[in-house]
Amino acid sequence: MNHPPPLNQGLDQCIKCNICTSACPVAAVSDRFPGPKYVGPQAQRFRREGQPVPDDSVDYCSGCRVCNEVCPTGVPIAQLNARARAQIVAERGVPLRNWLIARTDMIGRLSAGPQAPLVNFVLRLAPTRWLAHYILGIHRHAPLPLARRHTFRAWVAERRVQGTGNREQGTGNREQGTENREQGTENREQRTENREQGTENREQGTEKSVLSSPSRLTPPTSTPPTSTPPTSTPPTFSPHASSPHASSPHASPIVYFHGCATQAYEPHVGQAALAVLEHHGYEVLVPPQNCCGLPLISNGDFVAARRAHLTNVRHLLAYVRQGIPVVGTSTSCTLTLKEEAPEILGLHSADVQLLAAHTYDLFEFLRLLAEAGQLRRDFRPMARQLPYHIPCQYRAHRIGQPVVDVLSLIPGLQLSLSPAACCGIAGTYGIKREKYAIAMAVGQPLFNFIRQSGSDLALCDSETCRWQISHATGVATKHPIELLAEAYNLSYYQS
Amino acid sequence: MFRCFLAGRPTKNRAKIAQKNMEYDTIVIGAGLAGLTAANARAARGERVLLLAKGHGACQWASGCVDLLDAPEHPLAAIAQLAAKHPLHPYARVGPAALHGGLKLLQSACSKMGYPLVGSPTQTLRLPTALGALRPTSLVPLTMVAGEARQLAAGGPLLIAGFRALRDFFPPLIAANLRTQGFPATSCYLTMPNSERQRDFTPMNLAHLFERPAFRENVAQQLRAHVRQGGYTRIGLPAVLGLHHAVTVVQALQQTSNALIFEIPTPPTSIPGMRLAHALEQAARQAGVHIQLGSWVVRGSGSQKRLETIYSAAAAREQRHHAQHWVLATGGILGGGIRREPQGALRETALGLPVHSPSQANEWFHPHLFAPGGHPIFQAGIATDQHLRPLDAAGQIMYTNVMIVGSALAHCDPLREGCREGIAVATGYKES
Repeated sequence: MNHPPPLNQGLDQCIKCNICTSACPVAAVSDRFPGPKYVGPQAQRFRREGQPVPDDSVDYCSGCRVCNEVCPTGVPIAQLNARARAQIVAERGVPLRNWLIARTDMIGRLSAGPQAPLVNFVLRLAPTRWLAHYILGIHRHAPLPLARRHTFRAWVAERRVQGTGNREQGTGNREQGTENREQGTENREQRTENREQGTENREQGTEKSVLSSPSRLTPPTSTPPTSTPPTSTPPTFSPHASSPHASSPHASPIVYFHGCATQAYEPHVGQAALAVLEHHGYEVLVPPQNCCGLPLISNGDFVAARRAHLTNVRHLLAYVRQGIPVVGTSTSCTLTLKEEAPEILGLHSADVQLLAAHTYDLFEFLRLLAEAGQLRRDFRPMARQLPYHIPCQYRAHRIGQPVVDVLSLIPGLQLSLSPAACCGIAGTYGIKREKYAIAMAVGQPLFNFIRQSGSDLALCDSETCRWQISHATGVATKHPIELLAEAYNLSYYQS
Repeated sequence: MFRCFLAGRPTKNRAKIAQKNMEYDTIVIGAGLAGLTAANARAARGERVLLLAKGHGACQWASGCVDLLDAPEHPLAAIAQLAAKHPLHPYARVGPAALHGGLKLLQSACSKMGYPLVGSPTQTLRLPTALGALRPTSLVPLTMVAGEARQLAAGGPLLIAGFRALRDFFPPLIAANLRTQGFPATSCYLTMPNSERQRDFTPMNLAHLFERPAFRENVAQQLRAHVRQGGYTRIGLPAVLGLHHAVTVVQALQQTSNALIFEIPTPPTSIPGMRLAHALEQAARQAGVHIQLGSWVVRGSGSQKRLETIYSAAAAREQRHHAQHWVLATGGILGGGIRREPQGALRETALGLPVHSPSQANEWFHPHLFAPGGHPIFQAGIATDQHLRPLDAAGQIMYTNVMIVGSALAHCDPLREGCREGIAVATGYKES
């Protein structure tokens, strides 16, 4: 076996060839960051617990992971850097600005909802931006997303209420399930019975809009999820739960991880994801969840990041123990659930691994469907040429370009692929006052590419990348799943 | 695991259509010169190709010149002699046609980028290294050719210039060593023109800076002053004169300074090596090759002497890849395609193929570091038949649809023999 070396041994694999430094998009534009080799495998030798941190420049690592991608000897440089930054934070504490912007779910909760128009208005006032710039350290030109009055989960809940209304006559079991929702268990047999009854009902004319209701998952038993014995990884999916075609008699459940951005700023991305998954016959569940923890990891707040990840594990464990896959549209969230949180935070329990093993980026999942011949092909032709930027965080999944593989099945659609390594913003990096200019310089090749494409629309999987692209170029951006939903001619709620 | 929740049965036809997009005729493992050549050659023959690699290839560690064989005069003739004498040598396996084809492919890719490679397989060129030694090679980029030994010998006084901020490049050392070989060389350090960068001038940073007209104009003016003062006809500079527009940079410097400029390769990372890799990557992408980096191939599986599937490490799970044909271009001991296990055995890292090597670890090294015959360990590699298909210890073909190319091959010592690039392009180009 030829697996890349584990984090603690990776250091010794570095042969100091500087390929990472040559490829690093930050070192190319700023001398505040000397390069991945210097702050990673080299400086690491001088980092000892209880001793002062030798060099602060590691804070200028954006965490894009290009270094990992190009390293010919498999040194996990970006992870070393993330840990080094956490060591600085552990020594000196989290600055207020970083504490704040790392809590994306809290910010989302505070800004989305009925108060959103007011929040958006106030946050866009020049004096507010000026204050944020000089007092907090959030760059006054940094792209800020618009908070929505109606969050994604509110939409899901509304839809559930409407949906259960439609189906009330024959779903006694379901009602019971709803009561037990919070207890998420795995009485698989009974659950299937429930679902079959529901399906019969559905077939009678309530159309195929399978509702995204956490209640569908919950069987009428009451074993709390934590008390079940840990399952060995990876689990197998029980065949009777697995028929993803819309035409099939009972739908397969799948969990959707929406992330903070879909919840508060871009509910339409989640709506498109649900539409596409339901088009394939999946019963999409949206159980409670919180921030994946990536903003906390990249701001060095490992304590809060661990808490966030373990809470997600608790929320999702009952589902993955039943073999239900978790898919997400935010490629950084899915990467965090799959790898970053376990690896960087050193969380290796069986439960954490189980969640990682069941988590897929949505297009990774769709590509697997396509490989198995199960991706629906009822596309309407789209005679368009669109620029697509694969986020650095998507490349870090190391699975090629699933979006390109899937979208190129749409007749007439042509993607022109961005040659750029990174858009620069790297989550919260590019909104920081001292890093904004670096982030914009890093993204320059991408911005040029998008401007030169002449297109009025660009595709990108990651929300912060989309905001950065639109901010820098004025070109509108979409998540590829929105385009796929359009290609399937699915109407989904667009705000 | 995934298969389990895909219980629905696809119609055969549907599966075929959907898969076509993600199925490859050939998957090439390794993104060095051999892998890039193979990907290009196969795409040009109409195949659908995926290039899968764990990172950037060893091009970025090499000089950016094309070494065919360390021979005094005529590399091609020397290769024919070598092939006759050593029938197992990769050059003997592939024959001269593949070498010509591979060189043509590489030269055409570089020319398209406005970065022509000059020279010929029938002539040995000698160019100064960053230590001031003369190194034999065959094809060199236009940006280096003015430093060729015959030209240096014919010309007037010679200046070797650099920057103090660029580590690992010492003009006084280079000039001194050139002087001992009879060349009238002097050295100087240039002043770094002002830019927003205050520190950390890596070859890459400098290459980017040289692509700015103002930066190179400043350097050119400094060179011009030196030329006026010292009457130099040629100036050697570190090979950092631009990444994408090197020829333009060199021409601009020549015009202003009134001297011929030549680049001297630096220790890694090598900008000229990167230019070669970029040219081949660009050509490959244009030919429809998919390139996926960061993916370590961890194992393969197949049946009846056919490799059917390989797996690459990815976040949380392995990625599966299918293809009809496979090219293994993962390099030798230097490139990481062959590793020594803690117990002392050598292994091929991607597919676990048997490695042909001296049996005992105590036979790996010659007692003399600079023994003319080299160290036996560096001949280690995958033994193949004449179609470059891997053989096991008993000499039986292991996979009929796998080709081994480049430095992963046994029976040659690419660095010592001075044939690294030649073997890479010749075996990479060879048809299966």
